[in-house]
Amino acid sequence: MGWSHQHFSGEVIKILQYFDADLFCPDLESTTKDDVLAELTERLVASSQVKDSGLILDMLKRRESLGSTGIGKGVAIPHGRSLAIGDLRVLFARSTKGVEFEAVDKKPVHLFFLIVAPPQDKQNEYLPLLGKIAELVKEKSARDQLQGCESFEDLSELLEERFGV
Amino acid sequence: MSDSALSIRLMNLFRLQDLDILIRESEDPDLTSSEEEMGFPHPHMDKLHSARERLAERIEKRDLRLYQKIAKRLEHAIVPVEDRTCLGCYIALPTSAVSLTTDPEQLLTCENCGRILYWLE
Ligand SMILES: [Zn+2]
Repeated sequence: MGWSHQHFSGEVIKILQYFDADLFCPDLESTTKDDVLAELTERLVASSQVKDSGLILDMLKRRESLGSTGIGKGVAIPHGRSLAIGDLRVLFARSTKGVEFEAVDKKPVHLFFLIVAPPQDKQNEYLPLLGKIAELVKEKSARDQLQGCESFEDLSELLEERFGV
Repeated sequence: MSDSALSIRLMNLFRLQDLDILIRESEDPDLTSSEEEMGFPHPHMDKLHSARERLAERIEKRDLRLYQKIAKRLEHAIVPVEDRTCLGCYIALPTSAVSLTTDPEQLLTCENCGRILYWLE
């Protein structure tokens, strides 16, 4: 599904181009860390140009073995690079019940941003994007808004508002 | 494309490169300090190196040798092909190479840079 609102500012377009309505998952079903990683990967594979879900899931699990990407306050940002994906993608997901994700503050995670990048990052987009999302979720008001997003349009508006002019 | 399933042979090589990138980035002090600033904990590397050893054992010796040889001199040993162009060196592939892509067991390398190629789409 394309997203080409040309009236948005350059930066918003930059952020939004990695998101997609198909990558908006407000109702995660899984209740354990491993299951969530698998569910996020499945959702990503279903709607992106991805060669193999097993590769991505392996990479994400290995990344978690370095230390949880649950950065606290109910947020996790699983991320990494894989040959299995052609373009940088971000999936947003939410769990109403919350998931035990070995987060740094030991609290259950409700908000997930899955970021998967290809190995070669021509425009050097991946780290700045990771940084922007990590910065966004540090603000309580942003987390509250994310909890309330009912549709991809809500999420897009939020991103526009936060990263727009 | 429906015939895009990767053979186990290629899959383990791909897995190896994903893991090598993860190891390299997790050992890069600049990258880890930016991630720490973002709120991620400092990486514990202990499990990754043993995972790499175990994975390398599952890869055919000649494939592993080829991979290591390329990886020693170039940043990515395996690269995708897009629009018939090697995304390692950005040189267009000859038509003969493109016609080989239907064989999932075929390990194809770029004539120009020597990298292992794969078709993403
Ligand atoms: Zn090449």
